[in-house]
Amino acid sequence: MTADPAVVTSSLPVLAFLLPLAAGAVVLLGRRFGRVLAQAMTLVTAVAVLGIGAAMVVRVVAHQVLVAWGNELRVDGLSALLVVVIGGIGVLASLYSVRYVDRPATPERVGETIAPHRLPVFYGLLLWFLATMLFGCVTNNIVMLYVAVEATTLTSGLLVAFYWDRRALEAGYKYLMLLTIGITFALFGCVLVYAAGAATGKLEGGQALLLSEVRGVVGLIPSGTALIAVAFLIVGFGTKAGIAPFHPWLPDAHAEAPTPVSVLLSGVMIKMAVYALVRTVSIFYPTWPELALFAVGLGTFTMVLGVVLALAQDDLKRLLAYSSVSQMGYVLAGVGLGTYLGCYGGLFHLLNHAVFKSLLFMAVGALIYSTGRRRISELGGLARRMPITSACFFIGAVAISGLPPLSGFMSKLTVFLALARSGMWWAAAVAVVVGLLTTVVLMRAASAVFWGQPAGQGAVGDSVREVPPSMWVPMVILAVACVVLGVVPQVAYPLLDRAAVVLATLGR
Amino acid sequence: MNTELLPVDLIRTLSMLLVITSVATVEIRRLRLSAVAYSIQALIIVALLASFAPGNPALYLWAGTALVTKAILTPYFLFRGIGSGDDRELKPLIGFGPSVLVAVLLMLGFYHLTHTHVALLAPSELAQQELFRTNLAVASTVFALGLYAVLTRRDAIKTVIGLCLLENGVHLSLVSLAPGLPETALFGVASEVVVTVYLLLYVIGGVRREFGTTDTFALRELHW
Repeated sequence: MTADPAVVTSSLPVLAFLLPLAAGAVVLLGRRFGRVLAQAMTLVTAVAVLGIGAAMVVRVVAHQVLVAWGNELRVDGLSALLVVVIGGIGVLASLYSVRYVDRPATPERVGETIAPHRLPVFYGLLLWFLATMLFGCVTNNIVMLYVAVEATTLTSGLLVAFYWDRRALEAGYKYLMLLTIGITFALFGCVLVYAAGAATGKLEGGQALLLSEVRGVVGLIPSGTALIAVAFLIVGFGTKAGIAPFHPWLPDAHAEAPTPVSVLLSGVMIKMAVYALVRTVSIFYPTWPELALFAVGLGTFTMVLGVVLALAQDDLKRLLAYSSVSQMGYVLAGVGLGTYLGCYGGLFHLLNHAVFKSLLFMAVGALIYSTGRRRISELGGLARRMPITSACFFIGAVAISGLPPLSGFMSKLTVFLALARSGMWWAAAVAVVVGLLTTVVLMRAASAVFWGQPAGQGAVGDSVREVPPSMWVPMVILAVACVVLGVVPQVAYPLLDRAAVVLATLGR
Repeated sequence: MNTELLPVDLIRTLSMLLVITSVATVEIRRLRLSAVAYSIQALIIVALLASFAPGNPALYLWAGTALVTKAILTPYFLFRGIGSGDDRELKPLIGFGPSVLVAVLLMLGFYHLTHTHVALLAPSELAQQELFRTNLAVASTVFALGLYAVLTRRDAIKTVIGLCLLENGVHLSLVSLAPGLPETALFGVASEVVVTVYLLLYVIGGVRREFGTTDTFALRELHW
């Protein structure tokens, strides 16, 4: 047993979300300064957020918990992990967007560009999107956690519909409508937890809103109320996290959004929703350990359904989106176990998925940028013309498939071991099979796009070239991260250990 | 909360009117009239919150927030979204007669369920008093009717109106479940609903221009 971490007042939790919030306002108000200001502000702010995240990591690894505004904002290992992921992917997505953002995604509109006055709106919303995600990760207030999760939907809704064509509008409408309905259930759940916590009589006034305080009285909450609250939280935050069967919004939104936004949606936002889910539901684990079986069951169902639907896709972005559903199943199965090893594996996979899914979306975005196409059947033989993109896609595909020595192997192996150690052999077996199917899905796509011959109409021509450095540099950084996290997985141990300890309530 | 100061009869009447306006909002097939029914409901919510306020003065602020967000801004966005043209709702999945029947059954079912099993939803002593039980029962009924509208209506604008009902149900429940909710949290929750409605209607405006209709069945570009 280790001693409780020291609680230290710090301005870092405040800065983490106020900085992008203020920068977003500046970009939106200073629209006449055009794209250069918007892109520079976004990039600098994202770098600053990454720096804040790194500073938080140093502090939590040194056994501290950072608080601000009383105890309203609270950063422990789990929060710091999410902040650094949001900051890191935010920097790379911002850099990637510099050249990508004004190219529409559909083949019918190749050559068209986005009106210049819309670009500051894009970047302003992007910064607010980052700010709302960051706020969700640092708040300790259960109702404000709901507010933050819903705010991420609102700030990203217009980003999903940014191209404003038929597909984007359909995706944007479904995204806003389905997520708002889903997340309303989470509000009910959050309010129930608050009301039940206050009704125990052990917490004064607003303390019942604080997750860190409710945790201590959860054993006094009537089991019926707890069951309803957990059900609402799973439906609400599970919808946002893309957990099956609440996932139908995800492939549309992740596929139709501009690629930098897809990167943030698949690479970061659904993780923040999983964070909200486990942060709230995990407080019930010590009293109702049976929840672990339900969470693992749901995670297993999600990984199977996601990969089966991914098998049927010809559109690369939709394929990756369904694969995200499947991979979130691994995360849920891991952290849902409630044991230290399960939480460690789940959170390690969360980190790895943020890296390799961002890489894969960027690689597909590079294909769209260079060819105007994103269907597997319309692409082929691009390995020689786009060597960096093809290498990066291949590394991402190997990593997500869980093949050694790349990052996905270590995190999936940890989840398999955790499931087996908890006696859930059936779930471990399903997870292994899903891993094999993921290999089939990604390798088939990689071989067809980069080495195969295009079969469909409108195949790409000889003029295709590699993307500019501002697009391939982020990809290469992510590819290197896939290798490092696979070959030297212990680099992430200090932070993942602190994060897993927060969630692990059912022993080792 | 000091419950002896509450105008019991007024609260009961307003609660009944809330249920009636919910059914009307869902079943009226003229979008503008439906939005009017919604606006009336929003004003009733403001009155209801003000009626509860003598027992908990913080609810005056809630009533003010509801007045601005639900009774002024949301109807304004709805009427602007509907526009001045033909406001007939696109034919829903369920015809008028069966739909009214379903709505009434939902109303009775949810009211009875919540009123009977309120202890599950509300573990506090306050929420289990008769007035607050009624409030929770009405809240869940409004929520269920909103969800019903969202699930069965083809017209995108009508689904937004359904969403507004759904949110009204949630906010009503806060009176019983979370009367001590700080203003910042309440303001966050209430303002997000308005922004959601604005954004949805903005996107629906784009859908109308691109697809020539607000029929959600026409949104078939994206398949699984």
